[in-house]
Formats: sequence, C-alpha cells, structure tokens
Amino acid sequence: MEELVAKLAEILEVESLDLSKSFKEYEAWDSLAILYVISMLDSDYHKTMSAAELQQFETIGDFCKAVLNK
Amino acid sequence: MDFRFQNKRISGILTILPQQVITFEEEMANYNFSPIKCQKLKMAMGYKEHRIAQKGQTSSDFCIHGLQYLFDKGLLKPEEIDALLFVSQSPDYFLPPTSNIIQGHFELKHDMICLDINQGCAGFEVGLIQAFMLLDQPAINKVVLLNADVLSPKVSDQDRNSKPLIGDAAAITIVEKSETPNTIFANIQMDGTGAMALNIPAGGFRMPCTAETAELKEDAAGNFRALDNLVMKGDEVFNFVQREVPPMIEHLMEEAQISKDDVDYYMFHQPNKFMLHKLADKLEIPYEKMPANIVENFGNASGVTVPTNISYNLGDQIVNGVKKVCVAGFGVGLTWSSIYMELGNLKFNKIIDF
Repeated sequence: MEELVAKLAEILEVESLDLSKSFKEYEAWDSLAILYVISMLDSDYHKTMSAAELQQFETIGDFCKAVLNK
Repeated sequence: MDFRFQNKRISGILTILPQQVITFEEEMANYNFSPIKCQKLKMAMGYKEHRIAQKGQTSSDFCIHGLQYLFDKGLLKPEEIDALLFVSQSPDYFLPPTSNIIQGHFELKHDMICLDINQGCAGFEVGLIQAFMLLDQPAINKVVLLNADVLSPKVSDQDRNSKPLIGDAAAITIVEKSETPNTIFANIQMDGTGAMALNIPAGGFRMPCTAETAELKEDAAGNFRALDNLVMKGDEVFNFVQREVPPMIEHLMEEAQISKDDVDYYMFHQPNKFMLHKLADKLEIPYEKMPANIVENFGNASGVTVPTNISYNLGDQIVNGVKKVCVAGFGVGLTWSSIYMELGNLKFNKIIDF
C-alpha cells in the first residue's frame, strides 16, 4: 500500500497524499497524470485500467484497495 | 498469423517530408492547458517540432515528387515497376484508386497491378507483406511500395492528444527478388472490436460531412474536436500496445530462431517517446537499439514512421553494410505486425524535402 501511495504522490507532485480525497481534487491531476497512472499500473502491478475506470473511484483510497486486491 | 518469405529484399528507401516545420511552442496557445503543463507534456512525449504539408498538398503529391526524384537520379526505371502499392488513409478520392492516378501521371506500362491499401500505423508491415506475396509470382520482379499520409488537415488545432504528434510524410520502398537466398519472418494480428479506438467519425458514407459535423465540441479533458476530426482514445491505444506488442516480438524471435540481443535494431512505429520507452523496458531492449526520435523531429505520419525511422536513423549503415532489423507497426484497426529481416546493401536510403 505504502509503495503505491508513494508512486501516486509522485505523479500528483505532492509530499503526502490524503486517501480520502479524490484524484480530481489534486492540481496536477490531468490527462498526462492519468497516462502516468495507467502506465505505472501496467509496468509495476501488471494491471490494465482504462481512463474511465480510473476516474470512477470516489477516493484515492478506494482506488488503491482495488488495485491491490484485484 | 505467421508468414515466411524466401529470397526477397528491400533494395531502396526514400522518405519524402514536407518542408514546413511547426514547433510545439507555436501551437501551445491553442491548447486548453497551462504553459507549465504543456512543458510537462512536451518532455514526457518527446514533442519538439513536426513536418506539416502545405494546404492543398495530398499524399499522392509527395509520392509523385519522390518517384520523379528516383527516375531523375536513375535510381529506379519506370518500366521496371510491376506493382504499385499505395498504403494510406488519405487517398485523393473515394474513387478512383490513388495508385492508378500515380500510374497514370507517369504513364507507366499497362501490364502491372496497382493496389490501394487502407492501413495506418502498421501500414509499412502490411505493405511489405503484400509486396512479398506479389513477388512470389513469376511475372512480378519489382514492387514499389508507397506509404503516404497527409492527415494533419483532419486533426483539430485544439486537440493536444493528437495535434502535437501528427506529421505528414511519404516513403517509397523498392521491394524485389533477392539473388542471394534468404528467409524473412513476419506476423500479423488484427482485432476489429477495437476498430474505433482511432477513427475519423465523419467524412465517409456512414456519416457524410455536414455543417454539424464541422462544429467543434469540448471533451472531458478540455480538447476541442469536431466529428470531422481524427480522434484517438489514448488510454485504449496505450494499453493495447503494451499488452500485444511485447509477446508479438518474443514470438517473432522464436520463429526466426534469433535472440533479442542479436538483433541490431528495432525499428518500430513512432507513436511517442513515452510509449516506445515503455515498450523497450518491457522487452528489455536498450533504448539505443530502439530509436524513438521521429515524433520529436518530424511527427507521427502513421504508416510512414517506420521507413522515416530507417532513413533517418540507419542512413548509410544499410547502404554500405548489413544489419539485422526487426520492424513493427501497431495501431489503427486495431492491427499489429512485425517483420524480422536483414537490411543491407541498399541502393539508397535517404530523406528529401518537398
């Protein structure tokens, strides 16, 4: 969990991440960040997710749980 | 699907690029994206400048200019051409075939075959496979493969997904029978369920162009596009490429019984630097063996990127020597294809401007 959160924080350009927030609440969340997350899931977690699926999660915490339990 | 071809070779490649250079900076103001974000996009994707055709120039104009150059320089004789393949998504007309127009322009012999093939990112591989199959016929000794696309007029200026990377270009590849025996290994896969991942909604018979299809509308990411414009589902394309291309290359290596390390160059289609580096990482191929500099210098001209890549990055290396090369294309269709062959002793391999 920590590793995934750290990777997301780096993509979103923040020191620490609030897991109760949504991706959209972060300034750096844009189409490029979406691509970075999709790519990171593919290379580091061998998981495939579309941009639409990614944006459906209400909180970043929900997203992390889904990735790690999937 | 695997293919094997005996005793065929590429004997020359000429890439024809538009003279007009447009930089990423010039276009930044059109995008609904802050300058800082634009710079990040530029760095990640490897955007710098791209070549765009002048208004009114079509794919066939670039082919005709290149063929005239080859005839004038004595690098190709008109009467030798037994087949003319025009692989493009930007024909001059719905009918007649553009290959017939080009044949007519040069008044080539009647005893030949002209074929238009609608293919995109894998257009070089599809064209080569078709050329190799034609060369199995005793009557066909020389095939001229034209890869050409002038798609920039179909891309919205306010679409930062596609505009910064689009390029226009043409390439002429001469394919002929080889006097020295050899084997070429190829494969191709298709998935039409993903056909609309890259598409131009309006302009065909299904949805003719009207005033309504020309109206620009904003998408969820802040890009403005009309139904007349090219649209790419970037995430779908990225996931498709990362899923399908590495196993395809592994399979090709097995078929050809060669190790990845023994291949000198991986000359892949050029979607953007980011995607190519991810592919190289997955395949454990050093970046030096998989050039990713075509988008930043010229743009992505669909099926023309592989010959452009070969002309620009290999140049005289395959005129004066021989290299073991793996080419691959992937995208529109969805189509993905790869070919392993030796490229060498070409008569010419260069770029000219038009």
